Amino acid sequence: MMAVTLDVQCLVKEFSSGRPAVDQASFQIPTGEITVLLGPSGCGKTTTLRCVAGLEHPTAGQIVIDGQVVSAPLQGISVAPRHREVGMVFQSYAVWPHMTVKQNVAYPLKHRGIERQEVDQKVKEALELVDLFEYADRPATSLSGGQMQRVALARSLSYQPKILLLDEPLSNLDAKLRLRLRADLRRIIKQAGLTALYVTHDQSEAVVLGDQIGVMNQGKLLQMGTPQQIYNQPSDLFVASFTGASNALHGTVVNHDGMDHVVELAQGAKVRARCLNSLSQGQAVVIAVRPENISLTALATQGSLPVRVRQLQFLGVQTNYEIEVFGQTLEVTELGTLPRFEVGAAAFMALPSEQCWGYPA
Amino acid sequence: MLTSTAEQSKAGRVAQTAFALLGNWFWSGLLLIILALLVIYPMIMLVVGALTDMDPITEGIDVSRFALHHFSAALTNPNASAALLNSLIACGGGAFVAVVVGLTFSWMVVRTNMPGRKLIAALSYIPLFVPPMVGAIAWSLLGSPTTGLLNTFFKWFNLDLRINTYSMGGLIAVFGMYYAPYVYMFTASALRNMDPTLEEASEISGASAFYTQLHVTFPLILPAILSSMLLSFVVMLGIYGIPSVLGSQSGIMLLSTYLFQLTSWSPPLYNAAAAVSILMIIVAAVLVLIQQKVLSKRSYITISGKGFRPRELNLGHWKWLMFVLAMIYLLVVVVLPIGALTIAATRKFMFVPTMASLFELKQYSWGHFQTVLADQQTIQSVWNTLVIGCATALVGGVLAFAIGYTVQRKDAPAARVIDLISTLPAAVPGLIVGVAYLWAWIGLPIGLYGTIWILVFAFVGRFIPDTVKVLSTSLAQIHPELKEAAWISGKGPLRTITTIILPLAKPGVAAAMTLLFVLAIRELGSSLFLYTTDTMMMAIALLNLYESGTLGTAAAFGLAQVVLLGLLIGLANRLSGGSTNSSVG
Repeated sequence: MMAVTLDVQCLVKEFSSGRPAVDQASFQIPTGEITVLLGPSGCGKTTTLRCVAGLEHPTAGQIVIDGQVVSAPLQGISVAPRHREVGMVFQSYAVWPHMTVKQNVAYPLKHRGIERQEVDQKVKEALELVDLFEYADRPATSLSGGQMQRVALARSLSYQPKILLLDEPLSNLDAKLRLRLRADLRRIIKQAGLTALYVTHDQSEAVVLGDQIGVMNQGKLLQMGTPQQIYNQPSDLFVASFTGASNALHGTVVNHDGMDHVVELAQGAKVRARCLNSLSQGQAVVIAVRPENISLTALATQGSLPVRVRQLQFLGVQTNYEIEVFGQTLEVTELGTLPRFEVGAAAFMALPSEQCWGYPA
Repeated sequence: MLTSTAEQSKAGRVAQTAFALLGNWFWSGLLLIILALLVIYPMIMLVVGALTDMDPITEGIDVSRFALHHFSAALTNPNASAALLNSLIACGGGAFVAVVVGLTFSWMVVRTNMPGRKLIAALSYIPLFVPPMVGAIAWSLLGSPTTGLLNTFFKWFNLDLRINTYSMGGLIAVFGMYYAPYVYMFTASALRNMDPTLEEASEISGASAFYTQLHVTFPLILPAILSSMLLSFVVMLGIYGIPSVLGSQSGIMLLSTYLFQLTSWSPPLYNAAAAVSILMIIVAAVLVLIQQKVLSKRSYITISGKGFRPRELNLGHWKWLMFVLAMIYLLVVVVLPIGALTIAATRKFMFVPTMASLFELKQYSWGHFQTVLADQQTIQSVWNTLVIGCATALVGGVLAFAIGYTVQRKDAPAARVIDLISTLPAAVPGLIVGVAYLWAWIGLPIGLYGTIWILVFAFVGRFIPDTVKVLSTSLAQIHPELKEAAWISGKGPLRTITTIILPLAKPGVAAAMTLLFVLAIRELGSSLFLYTTDTMMMAIALLNLYESGTLGTAAAFGLAQVVLLGLLIGLANRLSGGSTNSSVG
């Protein structure tokens, strides 16, 4: 069994009104791994992270960091943020503008009774890790956004915290910088040998960074798994659509063999899909399909369905079609610089049954 | 065919650009002339007055009799240097007290869980409604060494405790009390606008709450602290009411009272007054420059426009100690002065021999209020004040809008110069504006001196920096593309201003006008040199009442002014949609 650095059990956080911001979330982060909480804004991912940091006080549940219970409101346990030995990178950087880069990074070390020489050594190491050593004596305000975020990172890992918390650290940066920094981030965290909890609303960020991804919606942690599991076996319709399976096909179950189900969309139009839990005959079902997993052909093939192209959008290296199949509308993405079908054209579509997941409607 | 239309339109474009350019220059030129008359010309006259022997009343402008002896006299005269030293001590001490009190309260109100914060925040603005002169009278009633109410009170209880507000300590305390709200406003908004993650980051990294306040919070608002301290120092330098009431009894002369004394000799020493004024401007200008430097170099506040929920520090049991402190502060700053004014205004005789006599109803009457109401000149002064306040608000509001709009669109010619000139009066203590206007207009045979308009223009000139600042924040929020969109849709520059800019800037304009109105009706220092018996304002009338020794009547009129000011500010705020809660100075 792998060592566990963070153990969150049945976490609940209620604010003064409305549904709970976090509703019975439980997950674990194995030591040395990066876990990403992914979800739309307001889903409770940042609140979860702030509860782990100690900046927010949970209503119920338990948080254990490295074997120590740091938060268990029902037992009256609440360890102050400064005693939790965590590091945190904020969305707004939170780099102190009245200090130099070096002073920023050295600040957390001052509270740990470390000798000056060692502080200098650790600051140097941290700044080298984020490639900012030559900026050490600059005032923090003279840096660009990307550099400030790297200062914030150096500051939070200089003291080897038990766990590193990152709250949408890239969302204030422009798109190009974000792509570069997200690859750097994973390398730096791994190089520093840290365990990390990372919060974002961007699926591509989650996939690149995470060893594990947890998808949240409306306060609930819907699925926790490797990026491949999240993308290939989404356990929930929301998980499927949020990670890109944006097409929803409605139908009823005709029969099934284990996980494989045959679903009828309309009279005589049947498709195959997989369901995690077997559904009975006649039950209504929604199938989530990725636009890029649908293949269009001019001629009918085994199991294909006739469709009509209603609209197309040429995007240079790919074409998005809007097609109609038995009264339902789907989106299809095809790679290539040459659109193969015109608006109004008849065609046939085939669905890969192992990548079509059905959920009870 | 094609070429000719192209050429035609090109010619048309050139003509249009030339016309627009001419219009722009005409506009900027007009503003420059107005600003020159309001700001530059009086300052030049002040310098001329300080450097010559000319008599401003009889001689007009005559620069032939160059003289340096006024400056050397001002620098070597023992009275003048004593006044300078006293001013530095009183205003420096006052600014320090104001910072200690103002900062403590803004921190407690914004960043802690002290009980009753909202109420305390609202009540602590009250000193701003009280004109400095009235506050000084209240404290002379409370703390006069012989008859002061507090001293009488101590005597009843056989407490071996005496206070004396007719002293340097009294001056510092009263200055500090009345300008603490000023510091409060600056620092409270700085504390409120600070990104809370800056403190969270500190706590996460292992610092205690106390260490975080000391190493992150206060260093971050240091620019706001320093600049409010320097600005309140400059304002105190130009205050006449407080030193004239509290200082003159014990012979403590400040630069402001010394300056007024120079002009009330017979014959008045206008040249010496001009020289002292220049020295005061230099002191103030140095401080304002430092303040600008402090702000430009390290302004970390309001990093993003995002609304923050300020972090609240849990004080635990300490919060009750803080609460008691806050209550004592309110008692000292609000309850005691208003109480003293009320007692003095309603008692037939000020002397309170025993505690029992304090509650004897027969000792009280409406007599003092009746005296105030019966006095023609006092009633006239209230009316004058209202007229001058409204005129200042209108004239100054329009001018500030013109300046703010011109400075904002940086393509206007001389925009930088206009901007610079309109910030100059910030470095001129209020009193000096009066001396400068006296020098500028008393000798000119255009009949401006002696009318209410010289007061209006003096106030407009004096408060341009504050007004423009209020307006330009609201103008800055109007994106230039909104204006460009109006041009594209075929509107001319004037129509664009009336249909787009003005409606959008309305809250700012209203706020600026309200601010001007409030500032004008409280003003004493600059009107001191410019009024005549016909154009006397409330503040002057009160000073005259006080100096003629009718304490009860002065207290009654002072109390009436506080109530009137409160009502007017409330009304003006309502009219402007509550947009001026933060800029009363």
